[in-house]
Amino acid sequence: MRWTVLRHFAISCLLVATTLQVAARTRPHYGGTLRVETAGDPWQKPDGVARRFVFDGLTTFDARGAVRPALATDWASDDADHRWQFRLRPGVHFHDGTLLTSVNVVASLNIACPQNCPWTAIHAVGPYVVFTADSPMPNLPALLATDEFLVALTISSDGKTPPATIGTGPFQFMGAKGGVLSFTAYESCWQGRPFVDVIEVRVNRSVRDQWLDLGVTKADVVDVPVESLHMAQQQRLDVTVSAPVQLLVLQVSDAAPLANPLLRSAISSAVDRIALANVVFQKQAQVSASLLPQMLTGYGFLFPTERDLNKARSLRGGLPSPQLTLRAEGDGAMQLAAQRIALDLHEAGFNVQVVRPDAARANLTLRLLPLEGSSPEAVLDVLLRRAGISIPTIGDDSAALYKAERAILDQHTLIPLLDLPAGSASSSRVRDLHLRADGAPDLAGVSLGDAP
Amino acid sequence: MSLRQKLLLLFSLTVAAAVAAVAWTVLIRVRHVFELRDQEETALFVSQFQREFQQQSTQVSGALSRLAETEHTRAMAFEIVQSGDAAPYLTEAQTMAQEAHLDFLEIIGPEAKVVSSAQWPARFGYAEPAVALPTPDAFLKYEDLPDGSRALGLFSVHAIPGAEPAVKLVGGRRLDQGFLADLPIAPGMAVGLYSDGGQANPSGAPAFDVRRLIGATGEFAAASHFQSLIDSSRTSGKQASQVLYLSDQREDSVNATAIPLKSDAGQVLAVLVVSFSRSSMVEAQQHIRNIAYGVAAAGILLAVVFSLWIAARVSRPIEQLALAAESVAGGDWDVRVPVNGSDEVSVLASSFNHMTEQLASQRNQLVQTERVAAWRELARRLAHELKNPLFPLQLTVENLIRARDLSPSDFDEVFRESTTALSMEIANLKTIIGRFSDFSKKPKPELEKIDAKSVIDRVRTLYESTAKQGNAGILFETDVAGDPMPLLADPELLHRALSNLVLNAMDAMPEGGKLTMSAHPSGDKIEFRVSDTGEGLTPEECQRLFTPYYTTKQHGTGLGLAIVQSVVADHAGTITVESSEGGGATFIITLPRADT
Repeated sequence: MRWTVLRHFAISCLLVATTLQVAARTRPHYGGTLRVETAGDPWQKPDGVARRFVFDGLTTFDARGAVRPALATDWASDDADHRWQFRLRPGVHFHDGTLLTSVNVVASLNIACPQNCPWTAIHAVGPYVVFTADSPMPNLPALLATDEFLVALTISSDGKTPPATIGTGPFQFMGAKGGVLSFTAYESCWQGRPFVDVIEVRVNRSVRDQWLDLGVTKADVVDVPVESLHMAQQQRLDVTVSAPVQLLVLQVSDAAPLANPLLRSAISSAVDRIALANVVFQKQAQVSASLLPQMLTGYGFLFPTERDLNKARSLRGGLPSPQLTLRAEGDGAMQLAAQRIALDLHEAGFNVQVVRPDAARANLTLRLLPLEGSSPEAVLDVLLRRAGISIPTIGDDSAALYKAERAILDQHTLIPLLDLPAGSASSSRVRDLHLRADGAPDLAGVSLGDAP
Repeated sequence: MSLRQKLLLLFSLTVAAAVAAVAWTVLIRVRHVFELRDQEETALFVSQFQREFQQQSTQVSGALSRLAETEHTRAMAFEIVQSGDAAPYLTEAQTMAQEAHLDFLEIIGPEAKVVSSAQWPARFGYAEPAVALPTPDAFLKYEDLPDGSRALGLFSVHAIPGAEPAVKLVGGRRLDQGFLADLPIAPGMAVGLYSDGGQANPSGAPAFDVRRLIGATGEFAAASHFQSLIDSSRTSGKQASQVLYLSDQREDSVNATAIPLKSDAGQVLAVLVVSFSRSSMVEAQQHIRNIAYGVAAAGILLAVVFSLWIAARVSRPIEQLALAAESVAGGDWDVRVPVNGSDEVSVLASSFNHMTEQLASQRNQLVQTERVAAWRELARRLAHELKNPLFPLQLTVENLIRARDLSPSDFDEVFRESTTALSMEIANLKTIIGRFSDFSKKPKPELEKIDAKSVIDRVRTLYESTAKQGNAGILFETDVAGDPMPLLADPELLHRALSNLVLNAMDAMPEGGKLTMSAHPSGDKIEFRVSDTGEGLTPEECQRLFTPYYTTKQHGTGLGLAIVQSVVADHAGTITVESSEGGGATFIITLPRADT
């Protein structure tokens, strides 16, 4: 009996201790240095990894793509969306202590968008930032949530021009040394202090080296390009994959020698999307012939994705094939995809030469456009604006959206190819790593556990 | 050109020709030796290239074999065959190519389509015909590249063991600048590779593009000069050699050989160019040529000295002989040449001396003979001239002797007639003696500057009236040039000479006629002409006319024209006669014109 009681007591103590220990491990705790490695420039627009934890926008997307308040607490439109006013969050300070004001915001946005802005004019009116435009801006809150319109300090309190790295985000830039950028937690962040004390970002690191560093616990968060997602999973990395957040498109110039829409249509039919998705992007991409993903609109299947080489040749007909140039923005898989598209077009009778990414002009451009947000109209608005295509007036219903998209695609200046996710891999000591709406890891919410 | 100069030239040319012949022979020999060396080096290089090519082939084949044998490759091939999914291996070829140090590598799946391509990753899914080639050996082929160019490579095909259907590797190395740099290159040698990318122009003829000829360090120097050689090798498919001049300088030339590189089908894919600089050969030739020039110059100098010595030995006696002959021709018959030695020239000199001695002796004898003959002729003439008056004198004296028997009146008559006749004949004798005296005197001319016109005018004044008053009358005409005709002459002697000619002309026209005197300049001389229209002279008469004591007149002494000729000769002039029988005669006196 006594042994039985003692045994029950011991088991109970063990269970309590285990439960307490589990609770202690799951609760995030402050401190530590998060080591991030990236192949690109962390300050690069758009989507540089540092921009999102140094700067904030007036609005932001939540994980599901819905627009949420950020530096602006609320907003309202009138005059049929021709005028918007955003009320600034009070008590927000930049990293140098400068109080966030509507004047700062207006100055920052004017620098961020010197021309071809969604708005015609922007004004600071007390705690409000007021946007006005000649045409309606129904998706302005979503546009302001994108990376393009993050707010940085451009006028310091003493009237001097501050460094371009001062924002209101959870981490502030401390400096760079030996290719490593250091960011420390901003104690007075309006979102609250982040868990991690320091983020170190090692830049211009090849993916292969990033993975090696991750394997030997020298890195905590590393890039995983789309085409390497499968390999990363095979190598049993802790990979986080987003929903499709980017659209791979072939942007076709409508100027000579491709002024003829039939030639552009032939190009659209000649591209083998499936080969790109299955081989170049290792089955990690979704074939798409529509601008908006199927999951957003539900009508994506109406746009044929199959390659039709005969149709392409027929459309090209006997038209002479001038020397075309194709430029891919990005490296790695983007360049390979461009080479493949050049081969596809060669089969259809086009003479295409792939040029360097920094080439000034090209007849064809392979590029990635963002698919951020949960509102199809807003996503299309952001996407077309990034592509430099004039935005048509879009109705509220799906039919109108379909018609607008069909009208755009019928011009064959923007040929959708694939919907691509984003991915990253993290070490086992990284906790609560979530992806933002643009597929990038949300480092502000990360905490570090003990090393294994 | 003198004998000495001829000898000098002859000896110089002979020596120079001999030296040139020797130098030319040496140069030809040197060129032949260098060309042989070039041929041997080219053959050696071609042999080395073939060994290098074979070695590269072996290396490529070996690298592919090792790749195919690795566990990783075999697992990959097995997975591709089993799963039918080749996408995960899209970049595998690049990794494998780097490990095996291959420029080209493609993994070819069971359907003979590219699974992964190191050189053109986007080519996945395309067919690769090279896997169907039956040859296990390495082969040449052009490989398409993403930038649209084509690269020539040495390829091999190897099946990955254990996979059925077969998964193959097609890999190779690029034949490019790096390949050329690995070849053994001797000093003075340049190696280039011409590859046209397998392109040909629409006409089928190979189009030469100078940019396609590369060297071990990039550009191939003076590539355009190799066009004919490369084209020759490309079209014929055979090795070709040629001497190429890369500039105007002879030393800037090469012995070039083009070696065609062919595919298994025999198509010429590229041409390997091997060139050897001829600068060392040309410099050696130049050196030898300079030596030859030096030797030739020394030879010519020696020839000059030698010819001078020879001239001293050979030409000097001949020159002395020539000078002596000139002296003899000038009248100095006492000249002699020295006789040295016993050679042909000495014999000639001795003979010359003997000849001049004989000539002098004969001349003396001739002078004596002529002197005797002259005295005889003089005596004959004198006797003849004196005999004519003596006969009437004898008759008159005999008549006077006989007249002593006549009456005093008749005697007086006869005496008066006889004394008259005697006086006349004695006067006649005096005249004859006076003429001989004049001929013997031969006065020395006293030269002064006169005008030919004045001489003509003086003679005309003296004889014009006499001519008109003759039996038949003679028309006396003069023809004198208007320009001054200065003469340096004795006016008296010249007047006497012309007067003699005028009197002869008047004597030649007893029936009357026309006498013409003229004076005209003729170059640097003055020409006097005295013409008559008498019966003229025979050629024989013309030939003997100026001989002393020759006359065609019945009572002439034959001294008139001899005196005229003597006067003309004293004035450094000439006198000739032109005549035809029945056509009159013209005497022409030519005297030198005096300087103005």
